[in-house]
Amino acid sequence: MRNARHPERSEGSQPRGRRILRCFVAALLSMTGGAIAENVIAIRDATILTVTNGKIEHGTVLIRGSKIAAVGPNASVAVPAGAQVIDAAGKFVLPGIIDTHSHTGVDGSVNEISLPNTGMVRIADVLTNEDVSAYRQLAGGTTTALVLHGSANPIGGQSQIVKWKWGHPVSEWPVAGAPRTIKFALGENPKSSNFRPPPGTPLQYPQTRMGVEEVIRKSFTDARDYMARWDEYEARRKRGETPLPPRRDLLMETMADILRGNIDVHSHCYRADEIMMLINLANEMGFKVREFQHVLEGYKVAREIAAHGAGGGTFIDWWGYKLEAYDAIPYNVALMERAGVVTSVNSDSDELARHLNQDAAKAMKYGGLTEDEALKLCTINPARQLRLDHRIGSIDVGKDADLAIWTGHPLSTYSRVESTFVEGEMVFDRQRDLQLRKDLAKEKADRLKKEADDEAKKKKDAAKKPEEKKDE
Amino acid sequence: MSRRSVCLVVLLLIAAPLCADAPGVYAITGGTVHPVSGAAIDKGVVVIRDGLIEAVGANLPIPPDATIIDAKGGHVYPGLIDAQTSLGFAAAAPRRRGFGGGGGGAAQPATPPPPETSPAFQAIREAKLSDDDVEAKRATGVTTILTVPASGIFNGQSAVLNLAEGSMESRVIRAGVTQQVSFSPRAAWTYPDSLMGVISYVKQSLLDAQQNAAALAIYTKNPAGNKRPDQSAAADALAAVLRRDVPVVFIADTELMMRRAMAIAKEFNLRYMLSGARQAYRMVNDLQSIPVLVSVKWPTAPASKEDKEEQPLRVIRDRQLAPTSPAALAKSGANFALVSGAAKTAEFIPGVRKAIENGLSADDALRATTLSPARILGIDRQLGTLEKGKIANVVVSDKPIFEEKAKVTRVFVDGRETKLPSEEEKAKRAEGATPAASPLDGTWSLSVKSAQGDVNITATLHVEDGRVTGTFSGDRGSGDIKSGSFDGTTVEFTISAKTDAESADWVFHGTVSGTAMSGSVSTNLGTFQFSGSKGQ
Amino acid sequence: MSRRTIALTCAFFAGSLFGQSVIMNSPGRKPAFAIRNATIYPVTSAPIANGTIVFDKGVITAVGANVAIPAGATVIDGTGLSVYPGLIDSGAQVGLTEISSVPGSVDTAELGDINPNARAEVALNPHSNVIPVTRVNGITTVVVEPEGGVVSGSSALVNLAGWTPAEMTLKAPLAMHIHFPRLRTGGFDDQPQDEEAEKEAKKNYTKSIDKLRDTFRDAQAYAKAAAARKGDTTVKRFDRDLVLEALQPVVEGRVPVVMHANLERDIRAALKFAGEFKLKVILADAEDVARVIPDLKSRGIPVILGPILALPTHEDDPYDLLFTNAKALYDAGVPFAIQSADAHNARNLPYHAAACAAFGLPKDAALKSITINPAQIFGVADRVGSLEVGKLANVIVTDGDPLEIVTHVKRLFIGGEDIPLDSYHTLLYEKFSKRP
Repeated sequence: MRNARHPERSEGSQPRGRRILRCFVAALLSMTGGAIAENVIAIRDATILTVTNGKIEHGTVLIRGSKIAAVGPNASVAVPAGAQVIDAAGKFVLPGIIDTHSHTGVDGSVNEISLPNTGMVRIADVLTNEDVSAYRQLAGGTTTALVLHGSANPIGGQSQIVKWKWGHPVSEWPVAGAPRTIKFALGENPKSSNFRPPPGTPLQYPQTRMGVEEVIRKSFTDARDYMARWDEYEARRKRGETPLPPRRDLLMETMADILRGNIDVHSHCYRADEIMMLINLANEMGFKVREFQHVLEGYKVAREIAAHGAGGGTFIDWWGYKLEAYDAIPYNVALMERAGVVTSVNSDSDELARHLNQDAAKAMKYGGLTEDEALKLCTINPARQLRLDHRIGSIDVGKDADLAIWTGHPLSTYSRVESTFVEGEMVFDRQRDLQLRKDLAKEKADRLKKEADDEAKKKKDAAKKPEEKKDE
Repeated sequence: MSRRSVCLVVLLLIAAPLCADAPGVYAITGGTVHPVSGAAIDKGVVVIRDGLIEAVGANLPIPPDATIIDAKGGHVYPGLIDAQTSLGFAAAAPRRRGFGGGGGGAAQPATPPPPETSPAFQAIREAKLSDDDVEAKRATGVTTILTVPASGIFNGQSAVLNLAEGSMESRVIRAGVTQQVSFSPRAAWTYPDSLMGVISYVKQSLLDAQQNAAALAIYTKNPAGNKRPDQSAAADALAAVLRRDVPVVFIADTELMMRRAMAIAKEFNLRYMLSGARQAYRMVNDLQSIPVLVSVKWPTAPASKEDKEEQPLRVIRDRQLAPTSPAALAKSGANFALVSGAAKTAEFIPGVRKAIENGLSADDALRATTLSPARILGIDRQLGTLEKGKIANVVVSDKPIFEEKAKVTRVFVDGRETKLPSEEEKAKRAEGATPAASPLDGTWSLSVKSAQGDVNITATLHVEDGRVTGTFSGDRGSGDIKSGSFDGTTVEFTISAKTDAESADWVFHGTVSGTAMSGSVSTNLGTFQFSGSKGQ
Repeated sequence: MSRRTIALTCAFFAGSLFGQSVIMNSPGRKPAFAIRNATIYPVTSAPIANGTIVFDKGVITAVGANVAIPAGATVIDGTGLSVYPGLIDSGAQVGLTEISSVPGSVDTAELGDINPNARAEVALNPHSNVIPVTRVNGITTVVVEPEGGVVSGSSALVNLAGWTPAEMTLKAPLAMHIHFPRLRTGGFDDQPQDEEAEKEAKKNYTKSIDKLRDTFRDAQAYAKAAAARKGDTTVKRFDRDLVLEALQPVVEGRVPVVMHANLERDIRAALKFAGEFKLKVILADAEDVARVIPDLKSRGIPVILGPILALPTHEDDPYDLLFTNAKALYDAGVPFAIQSADAHNARNLPYHAAACAAFGLPKDAALKSITINPAQIFGVADRVGSLEVGKLANVIVTDGDPLEIVTHVKRLFIGGEDIPLDSYHTLLYEKFSKRP
């Protein structure tokens, strides 16, 4: 469902004149303190789960513009005149949930299956703002996601960190200044164990975990050669020569950027041995794994993962769907956490992404995490994995106003989201949603009726014509 | 005269009628002339000589050697220009969605595969225009087309052709007018098989062409000591694009896709235009400085009411707003043309008409199918209006050309009148577009192979809106058809069959093929096979 | 470390094959137990604070506030704890599948459209690792059902403890499962209309329905003849047909049909079909159930909902469609139960029920949907579904509300046997917790 924005509005659809006027007015207002035009919202009297600074009962969050301006007990937060006040008595406020494994909002296939290394393809090129799953995730309190290429290849493609800015043009969804990221995949999927090309198309390398390693090793080796070629070219040019330029290869540039530390590696993996393989390969080739994902056997090598400094983003109770997922246990999160791995719960599912709070709660049940530890799993921990913990993942002054108001404690199965904010804008609200359903149903009925009426009229006119001809 | 020269003269005399169209001077009079370059002229005159327009105006002196074409009561237009077709190329097979019923395994009729394309592909060389294709297209009033295959990623270099009778060579207006890119992923397991792969592939191809051009420039100056760069027609074609000598046409229908195309064009500083542009209505302000070719293949609604209701509002809304794109573009002063795109030949004029029904003025519609595409393709010094000196592509219709019952009566291409298909041929081509009487209607003699022997039943059936009604008589009593449905091939109907003891429902399930029907009938005594045929 | 754990860990190392669980099964003994000073939730009556429950020889013998504890009974102190009936999953593939991507381990769907003679209890693996994983979260009883094709086969109601399928099975055949053919002509998205494919889909759909109808008509004819011959052996002999025989109790209304249909037009077609053959029908899946409530009410058709934690099919459907169906049925007085429709994560059944409670269903109704309601719908309420004297001792002891994720199951009794709370997962947890 849509928010209050006109459903057809997209970037540039406002006439230029009106945009200029707006900028002028905004500039004027910002000079005068901007009290009227700026977005100021006070959420009052809720239990605030800050995640980094404990729980504040009967607390207030003040939002100014796109940021959190103040957090504290009701008495300590002054509500400016003209602010929109939301009475949240009895309710809970949680930072917007962050999902580090999403495939929502992608136009076309999520996988470029055709080659073992397709690191040049970019999710950013095919984002769409029309996937209703994004809205439905907002309704579950999820505000930020790492949208990934699929796991068909050892090196898949460049991912994109986005916020579900429902109603906004898609160009505003990617988080500005977020780190570049790339998807690696290990195990059964990149070696095509569970899907085959159609008859007539040959099997594709790699078909074993040995080959998966080779693909990654070779890609980095080739990348170093590529970088050397360009260094040589630049050196010759500096000497005043005119050498032929080497080929600019988008894939090799991507691999080179990983080696330069400009792209974070988030790798899908299952079995403990392949986790070790990538750690060893990373150390050898000179890059770091930022986060292991799925990492269902992470608990078996948790200390090695911690020593490498990688995070672990996993789903907590899916198991048994593939052989490599057979040893998956819901205690994985607790064991990794205890070993010092920054651990998060993520979804790899449009559906699960709506209730990651529940997966976080499962870590209390399976492994005995405390409530505070559990809440971190879907907020500040994934924020750290995405290097965005300075902006999101907790209710702290100066951070983005990404948060949700819940009817009860988010770790209770009986709670649900009332409203969700992304950068201070209420992008989901249950009451508004209830009204929007009616509006949608009405518009749909009206449009279909118009079409039916036009059809009927056309039929009538067509039937009339021959008679008219007779009269002529 | 030597025998040889006699033979020569005889040959020439025989050959002459085959290539000459005596004498090539026409005056089209009496109709409303729409020059497009100026206001319409009541009872105007258009004079054609030797393939070019000699004069256009009111009350013109008519040359004594001119054949008079009486267009009284009719309308005279420049031949329409369709700036986006793939006439002469096999269409790509439609990508089947996976239905629960199982569409994937169906046997496809044998069609020629679409051509392998690359930036070097030249439409002018490879187009195979059949006479039928050309005639059918001309009959709609279109006399000039741009054609290039719709398949592949780099579809190649397009050709602009006059739909004249004769050889391809004589039809060419310009070859290599545009380079076309359509974002169609390849089959799975062949790079690139995803949309993001296609975008990377396009960018890499342009980068390679850039590098190749730079390398060649250096190598040509200084071959000694340097490794010889590859040379290919594909790289050359893309180099022309990078130099901005040749514009790129990006096939893009949705706002998202159009913006992706614009981003690529910006990154490589290309001259470009967008074709398809179904969602232009959503981004009119950002289309001000780009030529836009709006396809008139408007989205259609599914047939059944339930399917319509199951569609998302987003799709319904888009379907209803898409035909307003041309009017919105016209209002904003954008540079746009109306094109076929993926539409079939017969859908072009109705598609333009739909744009008019949705707010585009008839004048703007005419401009969008004549002068605007001519300008966009850079052929406006030759075509696009009725002006002295331009190529004599002229179309006469009995009513304003975009009106529903309008018929194109005369077509001139390159100053020669061309053949229009007869009504019969048109009907044959259009069959399938108009529904005939249902194949189920009529009286059927059915024979059921029951355990007790053959049971004969005569059923007179009639279908309306998918529901079957009628009567039956024969070995199991007589009465009305209780209920039934027919979807075009599969029929189901129920009768109350009477025996001495009782009456019970017999449910017939069959398939209809021509005048034959066969299937099974479920009864209280079991299921039996039946077959039958239609009387008249 | 308890001796039992050591023993289990050794057994684990000694040769655990996938799907051959080394977790101790039911002990085979049903001595007397008494749990006292607990808050008891019988489900069919009000909760009892400081209550006691007693069971012996596999059957509940006493429930109440002041109950005599028989001599020799093992007494469990329930202070601060709660006692609930074992939870019932109204539709799952627990025991029929081990690793989804390994065909050798998957027995959920037989080939072909018409398999009424496929019986779930035949393929049930009592030693599947999925079983302990499921029961340690309080699900003691499952409707194990085949899927696939149109007439998928018959389900069995099983307790999740036993050395053989027979020991586990409470009732079989429980119901015949039909996955009604789905008419999908597309038009959901903005792809251009593909008329050819749509026609084809319609044709295939009609063929499927025809086949189903023909089968049922044949089954009716067969049943008539079989009944006739049974009563009078002079009636001409005919060769047996196992497929039609399996449908005989169904067309005679003795075994209900669980009709799986999701979207409105499929539900309507399915219910019409059920009416045509006068089947005793239970509607299942039924995302669009709210649109057909009047029909369900007038025909007395109960519903099995689930999975609840699922996305609506249509873009325009409200985000909470699946969550609010239970409340709609509850308000209309239509009986319903909840299924996980899963195998590996059937253990999350209570959270599907809780999701309904988050969107309006009263909490006690949510609990009923996974205890007494399925028992009633499947006609086994005399044996399971609540804590009442005479019923099977399927009992769970928890430290809180089982519909809350953070709750732990502390003790588990199935058929009065004390079931260890070990599973493949707890074993791996223990093993790797102890990595030096």
